[in-house]
Amino acid sequence: MQQLAAEEAGEVLVAAARANFRDGLLPAKIFNDPALHAMELERVFGRAWIFLAHETEIPKPGDYVLRNIAEDEFIVVRDAGGTVRVLFNSCRHHGMKVCTASMGNTAYFTCPYHGWAYKNTGELSAVPHEKEIYGEGELDRKTAGLLPAPRSESFRGWIFASLDQNAPSLLEYLGDFTWYLDFYTNKSPAGLEVIGVPQRWIVHANWKLGSANFIGDGYHTSTTHLSTVKIGVIVGPAHFLLDGAQVTAGAGGLGFRKMAADAGAGRGYPEHIIARFDAAHREIWKRGYFPGHGTIFPNLSFLSAASVEARDKPPVPYFTLRVWQPIAPDAIEVWSWCLIEKDASEPVKRASYESYVLSFGSSGLLEQDDTENWTSITSAAGSRLSRNQQLNYRMGTKLLKPMPDWPGPGEAYSMDYTEANERAFYDMWLRYMERRS
Amino acid sequence: MSAATDQRPTDRPTAVPVDEGTRRLVRDFLLLEAELLDDRRFRDWLDLLAPDINYRMPVRVTRTKGGSAEFSSDSYHFIENRQRLGLRVERLETGAAWAEEPPSRTRHFVSNIRVSVGASAGEVQAKSNLLLYRTRGNAPTHDLLSAERHDLLRLGEDGWKLARRTILLDQATVTTHNLSVFL
Repeated sequence: MQQLAAEEAGEVLVAAARANFRDGLLPAKIFNDPALHAMELERVFGRAWIFLAHETEIPKPGDYVLRNIAEDEFIVVRDAGGTVRVLFNSCRHHGMKVCTASMGNTAYFTCPYHGWAYKNTGELSAVPHEKEIYGEGELDRKTAGLLPAPRSESFRGWIFASLDQNAPSLLEYLGDFTWYLDFYTNKSPAGLEVIGVPQRWIVHANWKLGSANFIGDGYHTSTTHLSTVKIGVIVGPAHFLLDGAQVTAGAGGLGFRKMAADAGAGRGYPEHIIARFDAAHREIWKRGYFPGHGTIFPNLSFLSAASVEARDKPPVPYFTLRVWQPIAPDAIEVWSWCLIEKDASEPVKRASYESYVLSFGSSGLLEQDDTENWTSITSAAGSRLSRNQQLNYRMGTKLLKPMPDWPGPGEAYSMDYTEANERAFYDMWLRYMERRS
Repeated sequence: MSAATDQRPTDRPTAVPVDEGTRRLVRDFLLLEAELLDDRRFRDWLDLLAPDINYRMPVRVTRTKGGSAEFSSDSYHFIENRQRLGLRVERLETGAAWAEEPPSRTRHFVSNIRVSVGASAGEVQAKSNLLLYRTRGNAPTHDLLSAERHDLLRLGEDGWKLARRTILLDQATVTTHNLSVFL
């Protein structure tokens, strides 16, 4: 009875959100509501494609990392034959987690409870005293392997999984957004690699705030990140994203910073990198647009940017991926990776990592203030009045039309100070919550 | 790049204890440092750092072996030199560092101080335990961070300076929403 009442309360909130969203508004309550959270776990995290790991985190056979889709824990392992497997971390006998380390290398996962052992393919390999204790038909080894994630696929080394057996293919899901991922993944034939391991930390905030901030909140930078402009870590002016661009395509969206006219095509990238891109990508660079922040629905965000350590030193670029893992209506575990071209030199990798730590991650000078915003919004949203308070997501609806001559796919707008991408994100969220996607 | 190392950067196989006078001075140094941080006298804190300071907090990962193998040699929550620590302090003075406006209330509890001779003359190694208590605003809750710190202190013309600090956090997942404080 109680569960039904909760689901009903969640449905009422979704309906209110949809009704108000037609007018560019959303009830603040969607950022902190237990009933809505339970629905999100089923309808969003139970169905969408979720990023788990980068293939370079498990380069050798037997390498594994533990990763989550919300409450479901998976072993992401490269098996003895080199195939990446995504296996539910729970013994098929009585459910104990068979893997307790966050990473490592192993040929077998052995359950500490009764000793059932699984190959790193997931196949059940050994059951102590099997012959003495199981009669015929009581234990079918063939069907007693670790449960694979219903779906798992990779794109450019980015490993995703979905709990929905009937999900579209990953490529279909990402849609035209893969065209924009090229900007980040295609700069070197060697591809990207993860530097070390992800930072993890807890933020008492709703997961949607991280996703929405990264997909399309260019506007917050001039206030939230003013301190970093003042000390020169970010090259100013403070409203550096005002005249950028914002694009929605497929399951994602991203924002561009407009560089000074003299920054040159590809923002100073050497010719051999520029030559790897087609004319349309190059045209975007030529117009001065540098791809920066973005999100793939629901909870994978990324950022390509640069920090300046001293006024007499050039900006040092970095690239970060992050997952906003929902752990409660008002809490996320942030997983933040730093990646770099695999063939970069060691000094370049080190400098890029240090630049990343200065600006993003658990101690990052920009991320510190982002998490402050999101915890504050979440705290206010836990109240009763937050059901009635409608938050404004209208920016850009009247003043901006999609650019007709944008060289890439999707819908593009000629400012990063618009909420077009956030509206696209919440529209997708609503469609999942209404079971229409 | 390898994911982890079996070495704790400032570990030495055999720790040779220092004389009682030096031990007291190092203890006083660490307690003064804690006081400066809790009093938010960050400029004075910077004065305690050597120009070539190496200030790090490696990411900890749960591994079957445990112990020092848990610390990444490639990934850090802090990987700072003097210049970047200076930037972090400068930011706090802008009036726009929202993570510290209003400021965190911190209390650095420093204990279990163990001092041994360093590799060079005029250098000592100090291990200490740190419990950092942090509250913000009127929240009824607090954050606690527990760590062991491995320090290298150097005696120069103007007294002891912190030349290296490695912060070994007792958590794989950090339970504070940002590290806008120093450990």
